[in-house]
Amino acid sequence: MSKFIKPITAAELTAEFMRLKRGSVTRRHFLGVTGLGMAAAVVGGRAGSFVREAHAEDLGTQMSFATWPNYHDPASFEAFTAKTGVAVEVNVFGSNEEMLAKLQAGGTGWDLFVPTNYTISTYAKLDLIDQLDLARLPNYDPTTETARFTNEGIIDGNTYAVPKNWGTTGIASNTSKMKTPVTTWKEFFELAQTEGTGRTMVHDYQLTTIGNALVALGHSFNSVDAAELAKAEELLIKVKPHLFAINSDYQPGMRATDAWLTMCWTNDGAQLNRDMPEIAFTLGKDGGEIWSDFYAIPKSGANKAAGYALLDFLMTPDNAVKEHIANGTPTTDSRVLALLPQEVTSNKIVYPDEASLSPLEFGAAVTLTDPGRAEVMARFKSA
Amino acid sequence: MRALVSAVYLFLYAPIALVVLFSFNAGRNASEFTGFSAAWYAKAFSNTFLIQALQNSLIIAFTSATLAAVFGTMAALAIERMGPRMRVVFDGLFAAAIVVPGVVIGIATLVALAAVFSVLNPAVASLWPGDSPPQFGLGYASIIAAHGLFSMAVVTMIVRARIASLGRDIVEASGDLYATPWGTFRQVVLPQIMPSILAGFLLAFTFSFDDFIVAFFVAGSKSTLPIYVFASIRRGVTPEVNAVATTVLVASLFLIFAARLLMREKSRTGQGDT
Amino acid sequence: MAAAGNRRRSLVTAALAAPAALWLGVFLVLPFIAMLVFAFGRRAPEGGYTPAFTFEQFLNLPARSAAFLNTLMLAPAGALLCLLVAYPVAYYLAVRASPRHRLVLVSLIVVPFWTSLLVRTYAWMYILGSRGLPNLLEMIGISDVRILNTPAAVLIGIVYGYLPLMIMPIYVSLEKLDRRLLDASADLGARPMSTFFGVTLPLSMPGVMTGTALVTILLLGEYLIPQLLGGGKVFFIGNALVDLFLQSRNWPFGSAIAVTLVLVVVVVLTVAMRIAWRFAGTRRVDLV
Repeated sequence: MSKFIKPITAAELTAEFMRLKRGSVTRRHFLGVTGLGMAAAVVGGRAGSFVREAHAEDLGTQMSFATWPNYHDPASFEAFTAKTGVAVEVNVFGSNEEMLAKLQAGGTGWDLFVPTNYTISTYAKLDLIDQLDLARLPNYDPTTETARFTNEGIIDGNTYAVPKNWGTTGIASNTSKMKTPVTTWKEFFELAQTEGTGRTMVHDYQLTTIGNALVALGHSFNSVDAAELAKAEELLIKVKPHLFAINSDYQPGMRATDAWLTMCWTNDGAQLNRDMPEIAFTLGKDGGEIWSDFYAIPKSGANKAAGYALLDFLMTPDNAVKEHIANGTPTTDSRVLALLPQEVTSNKIVYPDEASLSPLEFGAAVTLTDPGRAEVMARFKSA
Repeated sequence: MRALVSAVYLFLYAPIALVVLFSFNAGRNASEFTGFSAAWYAKAFSNTFLIQALQNSLIIAFTSATLAAVFGTMAALAIERMGPRMRVVFDGLFAAAIVVPGVVIGIATLVALAAVFSVLNPAVASLWPGDSPPQFGLGYASIIAAHGLFSMAVVTMIVRARIASLGRDIVEASGDLYATPWGTFRQVVLPQIMPSILAGFLLAFTFSFDDFIVAFFVAGSKSTLPIYVFASIRRGVTPEVNAVATTVLVASLFLIFAARLLMREKSRTGQGDT
Repeated sequence: MAAAGNRRRSLVTAALAAPAALWLGVFLVLPFIAMLVFAFGRRAPEGGYTPAFTFEQFLNLPARSAAFLNTLMLAPAGALLCLLVAYPVAYYLAVRASPRHRLVLVSLIVVPFWTSLLVRTYAWMYILGSRGLPNLLEMIGISDVRILNTPAAVLIGIVYGYLPLMIMPIYVSLEKLDRRLLDASADLGARPMSTFFGVTLPLSMPGVMTGTALVTILLLGEYLIPQLLGGGKVFFIGNALVDLFLQSRNWPFGSAIAVTLVLVVVVVLTVAMRIAWRFAGTRRVDLV
């Protein structure tokens, strides 16, 4: 027994992990050497039998899950199906507004979905999501989570959502095309009209597009002040003729070098930089967004038991590690962080210095429902 | 003239050629050809979500087109028997079903169903004897219904055009020969309007299979193939989508070809009988 | 006897019409009524709808005047462009092509419908993007051509997507054309051009009108092509509508715009029918 569960150092883990990634060792070998397999077997086995005993009769055969594109390892769902017999239908969405719109309209059938931090209080207020029964999530450990990223899931001491990962909204710039470095949102909007004319993209998303325009003007990312919004609208409409596109799908444009400069989320920044090192990812020195995405269970869910089972499955550290490697976002869970290879944790795009995060703001709940911001965005797009 | 027409055909087929070409791309994105490989076909057919979306699309297109063909034909026959006032009402409604933009149909259906469900579900829950009352929501039924609306109108239009050119004397002759109305319909009318029903069915199937905007609003938790493709365009299409599109194209070409052969065969044996 | 027969007859009619009537009632009339009711309501603070009776949504319509104007310019422009490309093809198919090839050539016009429009439009994103056509143009010395995400790209996508719908009605009307008329015209010494403008074009007018009206009306509600080829910068009413329901969640304003869009469609259709009717009238005169 002890022969198999030898303690393993972080460096050895990383080395073994890279070997696994290169395919020179099998997954079984990797799990055996690192002892993860044993841990997973013990934890998974116990949790598995627990879940099966408690919910075997009502897990059903199907569930529906709403998330963001390219945000998961498809193998996770296959493993979940193999373990529980529940097939997962995955729906992908482009904005929080769209998810809220669908839930408000009712009848989505989702059993689990992935909202962003600033939307959760609204979902709870509108009675669209369930308070989570933590007893059904044995693999979720609030003590290993980073409070800064979990607190918005907790309302009046009750947990409504548990964190998936965090991230930032920064600037991606193709440095082989854009000679002037970009360090602030002010420079972003200036360069969009000069060096980057016809080559710049902004999100089709009110929170970040209006928010970053506000930051460039020296206002708060979250402002709903009518006068400040009017200024932001003016700036956006002035920049519009210079834009390549208003689109949150900037990866194809950046990869094809149709676009040289874009607003960019951490995971896309990491993926773009990995494949095209000339694409740099920078956080605005003058501000911008820091965010965390959560898992929540819609009130209208048809098969909540399966929703809980999938959530617990994804919370299990060895499953979460694979998820994080697949999507390139920073984790909120110290258990997962410990398992991640150094190659990932030393990546400054994924895990930036604390100092560069300090000017950033979390999105505020009011921006989601404020009619003023929605109208500014709509007028900007139709101008 | 010839050159111009050839240019138009090139214009129509260049994107299709590109779709097919990229389905054999070895690279992982559909915008840079890096080598020849059929691996994406295997990937596509083991991608549960993609296959599920394809299945959903096939089920929805088949069901909505079938219902539209049956109910649309019935309506076409009924309109022939109606008084002028009712006829105007039905004509107007069917015309509206065709010309009202899909985006409006999708939104209006969503809004109306949301209102209905918000009343219906609590009502059912309060009357339900057991613990877990049924929840009505968006899904197959709402997509089929919304697609069927347009499809039914199209079938009715096509079948009515055929009925208008149908000889009435043969129907009367059949009646004179003491055939029952049902017998007359089955043996005289139906065979004559069948091609138009089939044409309507095919149009309806094609429309439903390719529709994005209506399904986008009323799909609920169901993902159709266009919804899946739209979602993947958001972050870059992998050649999997091209592989499925190519497969669908080849399958439909095969079906058209098979139908042609079958019809030719049938008409030949038909001639042999007489 | 007669009364019983009549009753039976109308019962059968009712039974035949019932499923369609129910369908039209529940999925066309009811949604439209719901939309009309919503259009007079207010947006709830968190989005959605609160009952009210107000005209503020209709008064706010000018906030989307850019989208309406854009649509009312690009939809007819797209349809006309489509017509210019479609007519020679339809003419060739109906008049010039040999009967042996005709069936195949006509089928080839319809076959593109069997590949998802979304996937084909995605292919256009590639063709119009910098690695496609602009790249080829650069090789022959025309550099920095940008087509993707401009109104030109949207128009190309529109012509591409709607071409078969324009070709078919024109082809059908030209195919019915009695070729002896063309021969007669030529025999009477008319030059090909005057035969075309004096005989062929007027006779194909119903097809031209049907195709143009059909494509224009479908374009008024277009969403996908501007969304994918316009880069979010070329905005149709359809895009404004989708945004209002899926981003702003302003159901009442969205409903007001949807109702207005339906009115626009009805007006365009009525005008098109009037014109078509006039053409039908002149055609009759020409023939006599």
